[in-house]
Amino acid sequence: MNSFLLIFSLAWRNLWRNKRRTLVILLAIVLGVWAMIVTAAFMRGMIFQMLEDTVDNLAGHVQIHHSQYLDDPVINNSFDPDSHTISRITHDPRVLMWSDRIRLPAVVLSERETTGITMLGVNPARESKISFIGKSVVEGRFLNSSSDTGIVIGQALADKLETRLGKRIVLMSQDINNEIADRGFRIVGIYDAPLDPTEKAFVFVGKETAAKMVGLKGAISEIVLRLHDTDMVTPLVTEMDQLDHTIDVMSWLEVEPYLELMIQMMDTSMFIWYLIVFLAMAFGIINTLLMAVFERTREFGLFQALGQKPRFILFQVWLEAILMIIVGLLAGNFLSWISVMATGDGIDVSVFARGMEMINMSNIIPFVITFNDLMIANITVAVLGMLTGLYPAWRASRLVPADAITRI
Amino acid sequence: MTTNWQFAWRNIWRNKRRTILTMCAIGFGASLIVFSVGLQLGQYDLMISGSTRIYQGLVQVQKKGYLDEARMRNSIADAQTLANNIRKTTAINDVAVRANGFALVSSRERTYGVAVIGVETRHEGNVSIIPGLVKEGRYLANDNASEVVIGRSLAKNLKITLGDELTILGSGRDGSIAATIFPVVGIFDSGSRELDRGLVQIPLNSFQQVFSMGNHAHAVVIYHQNAELVDTLKTQLQPLLKAADPDLLALGWDQIQPGIKESIELDYSSGWFMYIVLVAIITFSIMNTFLMSVLERTREFGIMLALGFKPINIGKLVMMEALILTLFALIAGTLIGLAVNYYFLINGLTFEGMEEIAAQYNMPATITPQISIESTLLGPAVILIFTLLAALYPAMKIRKLEPVEAMRHI
Amino acid sequence: MNHVVQCEKVTKIFEQGLIKVNALTDVDLAIEKAEFICLSGPSGSGKSTLLNMIGGLDTPTSGEVYIDGEEIDELNKSELADLRLHKIGFVFQAYNLIPVLSAQENIEMVMQMQGVSKKERNEKSSAILEEVGLQGMEKRIPPELSGGQQQRVAVARAIVSRPSLVLADEPTANLDSVTANKLIDLMLQMNEIHKTTFIISTHDPMIMQRSKKLVKLHDGRIIDIT
Repeated sequence: MNSFLLIFSLAWRNLWRNKRRTLVILLAIVLGVWAMIVTAAFMRGMIFQMLEDTVDNLAGHVQIHHSQYLDDPVINNSFDPDSHTISRITHDPRVLMWSDRIRLPAVVLSERETTGITMLGVNPARESKISFIGKSVVEGRFLNSSSDTGIVIGQALADKLETRLGKRIVLMSQDINNEIADRGFRIVGIYDAPLDPTEKAFVFVGKETAAKMVGLKGAISEIVLRLHDTDMVTPLVTEMDQLDHTIDVMSWLEVEPYLELMIQMMDTSMFIWYLIVFLAMAFGIINTLLMAVFERTREFGLFQALGQKPRFILFQVWLEAILMIIVGLLAGNFLSWISVMATGDGIDVSVFARGMEMINMSNIIPFVITFNDLMIANITVAVLGMLTGLYPAWRASRLVPADAITRI
Repeated sequence: MTTNWQFAWRNIWRNKRRTILTMCAIGFGASLIVFSVGLQLGQYDLMISGSTRIYQGLVQVQKKGYLDEARMRNSIADAQTLANNIRKTTAINDVAVRANGFALVSSRERTYGVAVIGVETRHEGNVSIIPGLVKEGRYLANDNASEVVIGRSLAKNLKITLGDELTILGSGRDGSIAATIFPVVGIFDSGSRELDRGLVQIPLNSFQQVFSMGNHAHAVVIYHQNAELVDTLKTQLQPLLKAADPDLLALGWDQIQPGIKESIELDYSSGWFMYIVLVAIITFSIMNTFLMSVLERTREFGIMLALGFKPINIGKLVMMEALILTLFALIAGTLIGLAVNYYFLINGLTFEGMEEIAAQYNMPATITPQISIESTLLGPAVILIFTLLAALYPAMKIRKLEPVEAMRHI
Repeated sequence: MNHVVQCEKVTKIFEQGLIKVNALTDVDLAIEKAEFICLSGPSGSGKSTLLNMIGGLDTPTSGEVYIDGEEIDELNKSELADLRLHKIGFVFQAYNLIPVLSAQENIEMVMQMQGVSKKERNEKSSAILEEVGLQGMEKRIPPELSGGQQQRVAVARAIVSRPSLVLADEPTANLDSVTANKLIDLMLQMNEIHKTTFIISTHDPMIMQRSKKLVKLHDGRIIDIT
C-alpha cells in the first residue's frame, strides 16, 4: 500500500512535469474520445430518429393484419376486431394504446388531377394518440368521429391535386364485391407531416364512413399497437402470433427489415471507427511516453541504485500512461457531454433535406448517447490504452542501472 | 542547397524508432483515407449510374413546372420530332419519349391505382432497364400495339397472369374519361419495389390515343453512361429546346432525383468530418515528436547560431525535416491505400447485410472503389497541410533562440 | 568474515565494438566497518567502475565482490535490488534526487520501499533533515534547493535507514569549496555518530586529506593504500 501511494504520486507528478507535451498528447486523446462518442451519438440519433419516424408514421410497434393482407392488400382480407384473439391482444398489460383502421389502396380525383393514395379509415380519438396525425393538422381540423364525412389530406397532396380546404375530392376504391366504389369527401383538414412522401401517400377518413363506402360490416384491415417499452415488442409478437393462424402479428422491424440490418451494421462500423481513432492516438501515446522515459533514464538508474526493483519502475511508468488515459477519457467524455448539450434538440441537416427524405428521415437528427455506446468507447480506449502504455513501461524497466546512471 | 536536404535527411534518422513511429502514424492516416475516399466515391458512382440507368436517364427534357407537379396538361408538343432532333444534334442515340399518366387498373378481381407510362417501344430499351427485365412473355411490340407490360408485384396483387386482360381507367389530358382494355403481354421484374408495384407501360401512340394527348408527351429521356457529361449535354440542348418551345427545360439527374445528390453530399460531408477529426488526432500525436526533436537539439542549434547560422536557416532546416518525413510517409501510405483500392477494384468489396440494404436503394451489392486524382491525392494533401502546420510551431520557437543561452542548455 | 566489503581479484573489461578496455585489473580490497575511505585517481582510473561494482550496479568480468559476506555475483536482479535497498546508500555527483518529490519525500522514499510505517518515516526524516541542517526546507522540491543543499539531502537519504555502507561518487564535484567542506564535515560526522562505512570516489584533494584511508587507483589497478 505504501509503495502504491509512492508510485501513484510519482506517476501523477511526472505526468505534469512537461506540461506542454502532456497537454498536446491529451488533446489528441480528448479529441479522439470526443470523436468516438459524438459520432456514435449522431449515428445512434439517426437510427433512433428513423425508428421514431417509422413508428410515428403509422407503423406503431406492432401491427395486426389478416394473414393474407400483406400479399394482397384488399378489403376482403379483413378481420373482426371484436374476436377473442384480438381483444386478448389489445387488453394485454404491455400495450399502451392501439388504433384500428380500414386501410385501402385508392385513387383520389380532384377537379384537375388524379393520383393513387392509401386511404385510412380511422377512429379519430384513438388514431390521434398513436400516430403523428394527432399533432400535425395545420389547417382546418382533424376528424370528429368515426362517422365524420370529411377527409384530412396532406399539404403536399393538396398542392399536387390543386385543391384546398373546403373543396370536394372523390375517392375511388374496390368494394367487397370487387366493384369500384366511389364517394365524395369535403376536405376538412390539411396536415403537415415530417416527410413529403407521407403527405402524398395517406388520407384520413372516418372508419364508419369508409366501411359504408366499401360495404364492410364491422371488419377492419389493420390494428397498430404502441407498447410501454420497445423491449417488449419481440416477446409480445412471438406470443401473440401463435394465437390464430388467420391473423398475422408482426413487429415494426419486420415492416422495415432493413432497419435492423442498419443497426447491426452501425454497431460494427462504429467499433471499426473506434479502433481507427485509437490507432491514430496510439502512435502519439507511445512516442510521447518513450520520450518521457528516455529523458528520465538517469532517474530510473537512480531508482534502481536506491534499491527499487525493475517492477517498480514498470508500474510507475505504466501508471503514468494509465493516468494520462484516464484524464483524457474524463475530459473527452465531458467535452462530448457539453457538445451534445449545446446542440439541444439535435443537428439540423435540412441542407440535405431531400437526401434525408430518400432514406426516410426528417431533418433534425438528435444526439442520442446510450450507456452501451459510452461504455464501448471508454472501454476500448482504456483497455487498448493500457496495453499501449505497457511498451514504454517495459522499456523503462529494462534500462540497466550502471548504464542508466552514467548516461547524460 | 543539396547539402541542406542531406543534412535534414540525416537528422531525421538520428532517432530511428521515433521517426518510424511518426511515419507510421502519418502513413496509417494516409492509406486509410485514400482507401475510404476511394470506396465512397466508388459507391457514389454506383448510386448515380444505378439511378440513371434503371429508369430516369441522365438528362430529361420536360415542360417547366412538370418536375414539381406532374400535371398531365403540362406536356411537350410534338415530342417525337424533338427527340429525333436531339438524336441528330447530339449524336446520342439513347433518347426516348415518355408520356406519364395515372389510372386505375383492374383485373377481374382487383383494382389498383398505378402510373401508366406511354413509351416509344423501339427506344425505351436504350434509356431504361425495364424492357430488358421482362421475365415472362415479351416487351411491347410497336408504338401502335394495344398491349401492356406490368411489374411482377403488381401482377401478383392483381392476381393476373400473361394473356389476361387489364382494364385501364383514368382521365385524359382534356379531362375526359380515358378507358381501355389491353392484354398483358409481358411481366417484368426489376427488383425495385416502386417500379414493380406501381408502374405499367403501354406503347406511346396507344397512350396518346387513350389519354387524348394528340402528339404530346411529358418527357424526352436521354441516357449516357458518363454522368459527368450532364452539364455539357444540357448546354448542347439549349438552342434546340429554345427553337421548339421556350418553356422546355433540360434537367440533369441531380435535378430529377435531388435526393440521390443530397444523400451523396450528406455522406461525403460526414465522411470528411471524420477524416478531418482523424487527421487532427494524428497531428496532435506527432506534434510532440516534432517539438522534441527541436528541443533536444537546443544546444546544437546554439552552436550553429554561434557559428553564424541565422535562426531562419535553422527554422528552414526543421521544416525541411518535417517535409521529408511527411512526404515519405504519405507516399508509402498512399501506395498502400491505392493497392487496397486496386485489389477491391479487381475483386469487388461486399459485406454481410449489404445486399439487403443495397436492394432497398436499387444498388448492386458489390462496391468497387474509384481510383482517381481526387480519391488518391485529396486525403494526403490534407494530411500534409496539417503536419506542416504542426511543424511550424517548433520551427517558430527557434527564432527566439539566443546562442549563449542555447549552448548552456543540456 | 567481518569485512563490510571484500573484493577479490576483481577485473572488469568493457567491450566497445572491437576495442577491449580493462577498466579494472585484479583489484583486491577489504573494507571494515566504520571506515571512511577515499578512492582517488585520475579520470579513467576505474574509480567509478569499482564503486558501481561494490554497489551491485554492475558485475565483474572475473573475481568476486562480497558485501557483508554475501557474494554479489550469486544474487539475481531482485535480490540485488533488495541488497541496495537495505544495505547500501548512494550519493552521486549530481541528479541525486527525484525532481518531482520534495526533500522530505526523497528521504522517505527509501524507507517507504522498506515498508517503514508513516509515523516512523516522518520522525526519522525530520530528525535526519535537522541533523544535516535543512530544517524548514522539508517541503522544497530539488529545483528550489541549492547544489549544496541537494547533496545534503542526498547524504541524509543515504544514511537515514542506517545502511552498512554509503557509496559516494564525486559528491563534491559540482560544489564550491566552502560548501564542499561543509559536506565533508557532514559525512565525517555521520561516520562518527552512526558508525556508517563511507567509500568516496573523488579527485578533490580536500577529501583525500581528511579521509581516514586513501586508496589510489591508476589504470585499473590499486597502486597505493595509505
